[in-house]
Amino acid sequence: MTTEGGGTAVPAIDARALTRQYGGVTVVRGIDLTLPAGSKTALLGSNGAGKTTLLKMLSTLLTPTSGTFWIQGHKVPSPRVARSIGVLGHSPMLYEDFTPLENLRFFARIYEVPDAEARIEELLRRVGLWLRRHEQTAILSRGYHQRLALARALIHSPAVLIADEPETGLDPEGVALLDEMALAAPGLSVLAATHRIDHIDAWATGVVRLERGRVVEDTSSVASLAEGATA
Amino acid sequence: MSVLMAVVGKDLQLAWRNRAGWLSAMAFATIAVLTYSFAFDLATGDVRPLLPGVLWTTFLFAGVFAAGQSFQDEVDDGTFDALLLSPVDPTVIFIGKLVANLIALLIIEFAQLILATILFDVGLLTPQLLGIVLIGTIGYVSLTTLLATMGGHVRGRSVLMPVLALPLLIPLLIGAVRATGASLGLEAGTGPWMLLLMVFAAWSTLAAVLLFPTAVEQ
Repeated sequence: MTTEGGGTAVPAIDARALTRQYGGVTVVRGIDLTLPAGSKTALLGSNGAGKTTLLKMLSTLLTPTSGTFWIQGHKVPSPRVARSIGVLGHSPMLYEDFTPLENLRFFARIYEVPDAEARIEELLRRVGLWLRRHEQTAILSRGYHQRLALARALIHSPAVLIADEPETGLDPEGVALLDEMALAAPGLSVLAATHRIDHIDAWATGVVRLERGRVVEDTSSVASLAEGATA
Repeated sequence: MSVLMAVVGKDLQLAWRNRAGWLSAMAFATIAVLTYSFAFDLATGDVRPLLPGVLWTTFLFAGVFAAGQSFQDEVDDGTFDALLLSPVDPTVIFIGKLVANLIALLIIEFAQLILATILFDVGLLTPQLLGIVLIGTIGYVSLTTLLATMGGHVRGRSVLMPVLALPLLIPLLIGAVRATGASLGLEAGTGPWMLLLMVFAAWSTLAAVLLFPTAVEQ
């Protein structure tokens, strides 16, 4: 991996020969992936292609059977990686018995977010939950859960967002909010699995397509280079 | 330290808001002590030799069934994954759960000691016995909290938990019952049994703290 010299920027994600097996069944097979900093990559593939397993490995929730990867130049595992990544998964990962305000306060404290109250207010206002900040999370709709999950994933201002079908449960207004705050946000590197092919033009600068655990198409670096050349 | 306080505070707050599981454990323990009091012939017999066994089986079953609940809620809601993704050291996550479970169980146990004192007419609220209960509870809560983590994603975990936990807790149960008996004057000196209890509590707490990061990684 090039981390210095020649002015080459550190990739947001750099994976080498990532493999994951479950009980002898290989789900992800030797994936090499380099996502440039600031790139927005859509991860495509049919059900069972290995998208969720790959995302879980890259978000450090799952240990690869073999292979190595770097996040923002830090070889995983590294204690510095957790602060670099935001994860928006299948599950909103929220405390249902807490209010939206309590949820964000807790995550702000464990990420040691500076000026946390201002950051929490900013995020709750942006996702449209400021007026409902004292209601129990369990009574919020699926869409509002996803909006709050988005705020949770961004509370510590991560450099890389890893998302698994982030549009799930969102109405068109919510999808626009997701684009504005995360998928198309300037400076944020994004790798997001999606089945909404019609929507990826709105935010993706490149595509990685998986089939049976292998990469069969990868335009993530190409698109970014082209974008860089025209910038 | 601030992160540790945040995690412990969160676990205590959730234990309070989600108290149905703990109230069930409290109800179970109360019914168990009441049933024992009806079963024994209080008028004619000396029930003191039976009390250590009555107390510790009640404490142990209440703890084993309730301790896994907080982990289960976190696993089901995905918040356990959110904690693992965060910069929080897994040991801090463990300590949060341990402290919350410990406080909830100590409240249940203290209530049962008061109830048993009234029903069996034996003075149980002595500093020595309270110390034995505290040390024994730390020992078994450490182990059951670790086992709850390891079984978090396993089907049939509610059955698996007691099956795994109870054999491992036998040395603690022996030490706790004998030390309790000695504190009630049933045998000479609590020293050796207290030592066994303390060694087991220290071993299980240390083992749980060291194994927890590996258990969550799996």
